[in-house]
Amino acid sequence: MGAVSRAYDALINAMKVLSGVCVVLIFILIVLDVLLPLVGIQAWGGTLGVVEYALLWFTVLAAPWLARIKGHVFIDAVTELLPARVHAVTSKIAYLVAIAGSVLLGYYSLELMLEAYFNGDIDERSIELMLWWIYAPMPLGFFLVAIEFLRYLLGYDDMYGNRTDVKEGM
Amino acid sequence: MEWYWAFAVLLGMVISFMALGVPVAFSFIATNFIAVVIFTGDLGTLIQVADNSTQLISRFTLGPVPMFILMGSLFFHTGLAVKVFDGLDAIFGRLPGRLCYLTVAGGAIFSTLTGSSMANTAMLGSLMVPEMKRRGYSSKMSMGPILGTGGLAMIIPPSALGVLLAAIAEIDVGRLLVAGFIPGFVLAMLYAAMITLQLLRNPGSAPAYDVDPMTLMQRVMLVVTNILPMGLVVFMVVGFIVLGIATPTEAAACGVLGVLLLSIAFRSLSWISITISVEATVRVGAMVFLIIMNSTVFSQMLAYSGASKGLIEWVTSYELHRFAILFMMFCVLILLGMFMDATSMMLITVPIFFPLASALGFDLIWYGLFVLITIEMAGTTPPFGLLLYVMLGVAPKGTTLFDVAKAAFPFLVCDTILILILIAWPNLALWLPNQM
Repeated sequence: MGAVSRAYDALINAMKVLSGVCVVLIFILIVLDVLLPLVGIQAWGGTLGVVEYALLWFTVLAAPWLARIKGHVFIDAVTELLPARVHAVTSKIAYLVAIAGSVLLGYYSLELMLEAYFNGDIDERSIELMLWWIYAPMPLGFFLVAIEFLRYLLGYDDMYGNRTDVKEGM
Repeated sequence: MEWYWAFAVLLGMVISFMALGVPVAFSFIATNFIAVVIFTGDLGTLIQVADNSTQLISRFTLGPVPMFILMGSLFFHTGLAVKVFDGLDAIFGRLPGRLCYLTVAGGAIFSTLTGSSMANTAMLGSLMVPEMKRRGYSSKMSMGPILGTGGLAMIIPPSALGVLLAAIAEIDVGRLLVAGFIPGFVLAMLYAAMITLQLLRNPGSAPAYDVDPMTLMQRVMLVVTNILPMGLVVFMVVGFIVLGIATPTEAAACGVLGVLLLSIAFRSLSWISITISVEATVRVGAMVFLIIMNSTVFSQMLAYSGASKGLIEWVTSYELHRFAILFMMFCVLILLGMFMDATSMMLITVPIFFPLASALGFDLIWYGLFVLITIEMAGTTPPFGLLLYVMLGVAPKGTTLFDVAKAAFPFLVCDTILILILIAWPNLALWLPNQM
């Protein structure tokens, strides 16, 4: 069980690192796209399409890690006013809503991915990309998010307690 | 279903989920799935929720958001922000209230180099509040300018929130970003005027103190070495957009490059500062993007159910003056901002307010700036304005939320004055974008 748990933690961490890699990739591709023509080298035509895909990958890959570190912003203005027992019930409902939403999004994106894969659908952006690539991180990302909220639901952790970076935002 | 029922169901559902404590992104996801079933009556359309959710966040126009966050994180974590402050510190000399003016000047310059008001407020708060306390400044004089100036980052480009707003409202990102440049600096001047007024009324609230003597040459050198190089980054972002050299996304990446080059020049770039900055970008950027991932479906549901169209027809049928309706929208945004974060507010109101503003004949770039200023004000409005809590987090022990809110009030008056100036003279915002 310990090995499974460690592998699971490593997976979530690896997805976060990949999300960071996407940010760095976006930066490098765009800078090259601007700078290369200045020195007489033709820029790569695929930057726009790859950056667009990377924006989605960066978001979805980080989602399970954000759920783990309580990084998905929520409003506690109302629930903080509730008695502890009522808050315990509302928090369970909140976890269930998040699980249901994540499972549905994971399931339907899996269906979209498989359909695009078997049809060999092409997404014509600045370059031709396989359409299933855009859906690829979503099933894994959202199913893992559902598992994270399931951990909260089963009482392994409390999303509303001991938060760091509570008011993170822009 | 009548439009008002559709409107009540959609907004009621998403707000109820949020009130229950469901994370904002998942409140929208759940609402979208339920709304699709209610309004189409076809379970087969559920797949559209997943399909359409990929549309907005896989657009190149949203590229500046992670880049602006990265740029701001690098600016703070490489120590460039402290260098700017040291340079500014040399300018003010032995001026009464110097730390307040320093806050406004520093905040305005920070705003041209970062896109995050949260980071700005936290940085200014942690740097300035302890020093102000040590120098005998009243809590009102120490926290107020920080709260006001922290929010400038929402208006002065690069503004990550401005990019999000433009993308959701489908208006020109570059034009909205540069529209905030002049009004942002006018607002900074209004803040400085407010500080002067407060000092005239109560000189003891920010006493003058002796500073280390410095020759004029030393001061000039500090400004030249610590502040002027930052102009490179400002030019690489705002200049590139205005001159049409780069798209906002390209300019944002160039801004990151500019901060990296400067931190290399100042020998302050380290592997740790890069990894911390990238992780901060993932934490904030991915959280916000997951929320807006669902905005397309939510907007489509508002349109499909007839809620947006019905509301616009209903509001315009009263033949109220358009500024009366603008005032109502202002009140709604302030009210929502008391309980909600900026992204959620935008997701809920943009699909309704922008078509309405367009129908009323407002320039949408001007209106976008109005929304940004209002959101900034909402962030400093009690009881739940997020910037108030950021300030409370870095304020000395014993500070209450009421103290923070009281300190912020005069600066909210400045924001209101700016809105009135923009109403009287829209070109203050529109002149620069019209040069593009």
